[in-house]
Amino acid sequence: MRKFASAWILALVTGSAILASGHLAGAADEYAYDLVHSSVSFKARHLDISWIHGRFNQVEGKFSLDREDPTKSTFELKIHADSVDTGNKARDEHLRQPDYFDTKQFPTIDFKSTSTKAIKGGYEVTGDFTMHGVTKKVTLVLKGGKEIEWNKKKIVGFSTEVALKRSDFGFDKSAIGPIGDEALIIIDCEGIRN
Amino acid sequence: MPDPLLYLQAMGVAAIVSASIALAMVTVWRSHGKSWPNSAYVLAIGFGIALGCHWLAFRWQWPPTNGLNRLLICVLPGTGAIEMVAGCSTKLTRFAWLARFCLAIAIPRILLDGSVYLTPGGLPVLEQPLAGIYLMSGFPLAGSWWLLNRLSQRAEGTAISLTIPLSLALATLCAGLSVMLAGYLKGGAAAFPVGGTLLGTVVAAWLVSWRSDNQPAVLRPSLVPPAVVSAGVVGLFGLLLVGCAFGRLPLGRATVILLAPLACWGPEWRLTRNRNPWIVALIRLILVAIPLLVAVLLAKREFDRSMAPLLGAS
Repeated sequence: MRKFASAWILALVTGSAILASGHLAGAADEYAYDLVHSSVSFKARHLDISWIHGRFNQVEGKFSLDREDPTKSTFELKIHADSVDTGNKARDEHLRQPDYFDTKQFPTIDFKSTSTKAIKGGYEVTGDFTMHGVTKKVTLVLKGGKEIEWNKKKIVGFSTEVALKRSDFGFDKSAIGPIGDEALIIIDCEGIRN
Repeated sequence: MPDPLLYLQAMGVAAIVSASIALAMVTVWRSHGKSWPNSAYVLAIGFGIALGCHWLAFRWQWPPTNGLNRLLICVLPGTGAIEMVAGCSTKLTRFAWLARFCLAIAIPRILLDGSVYLTPGGLPVLEQPLAGIYLMSGFPLAGSWWLLNRLSQRAEGTAISLTIPLSLALATLCAGLSVMLAGYLKGGAAAFPVGGTLLGTVVAAWLVSWRSDNQPAVLRPSLVPPAVVSAGVVGLFGLLLVGCAFGRLPLGRATVILLAPLACWGPEWRLTRNRNPWIVALIRLILVAIPLLVAVLLAKREFDRSMAPLLGAS
């Protein structure tokens, strides 16, 4: 009787383990945004003769990659608009005001993917980009996606650039002034597998 | 970039539109009583502000997404609705004051809706310089609203009472300049249509009252309609709150500008009260102008120090 019970328990545990491993093999890999090795920066034309550069110092996000079925991959990014940094304190304060980012009313800039497809060398991700209270569909071409193992951690990296018009997102046209309407957003990020 | 000519044009448009609408409505349908002129002034104020803001290419959004939008689309029309009902009958005075008080308490909540101040896990309210305004602003607003209304009734029918809407218009324009100099252009620009509308409606009310001199005092339209005082107080408060909460207008300066029109009470003590009305009016305006001038000069000094180098203005 005892032998029969032991065999039954062994079979149950083994079966569960096989089922669990089978489930994991098909699941997407979850990654957390690595703030230390990532950056979200931007540049915009100044007087149409040069570029002004800036970055957002506080960003969070997560993404899941399904290598077998890339259409099931998802990407999310949350940029804290208050952390804007152009290397000039007075200008940063000005950018936080309602004529620009209005960070007290719209504290974050968000991207949430709605569809993903694999392309050569990365992914083409379409999603909802919300800035200044306005949401628009934006397509990002993410280059990269190769996973490496470093220091016992599995890491994946992506890079992308996207050009956005501030006026499309409800920024006050009269406040655009000497800084060009179009801004180029440059995202370089690494994700650490959970 | 700021365009002073555009702001002056918006102010002129608001003043002309509000004065024309008020005069046209009161002249076309001459009624004996105060109810119809009061409604006409409310509509004139509404159209004046709307067209002035349209001149500034203001973006109307529904539902409103920011504090300034909520001030212009929800708070000021709400004030107009209360004034329209209040003007229907003198029996509604108590109801009107209850409604005004409720609105005064609700305004900070409406203007800050959806912002970090009211978001769970957002900025802790008590650590903000805004705490004073958020927790107590409704009471100073209701208090100054009542005091200015009371003062306009004390001097009803005389030129002295005109100093109240003039003071409110002056304070609104100074609030706009201060908000702009603190870096929030659009918020400050909205003060020009509001200030222009106050001036335009008062001119219309003065003309209407002057033409109705032969009527008994009970039926004669008010020289300073309560709707003008209400729109002035609420508009001024709203602009200052938006400038403080979303822009960088210091709380102390905002408080000085908000309370400056109350200096009209200054000459109400015995020695000056019974002097020539024009002298009393002049003293009132000087008392109001002094703190406003100091507030604008401080705002300009701060602008020169922090913002002007950024804009290449100096």
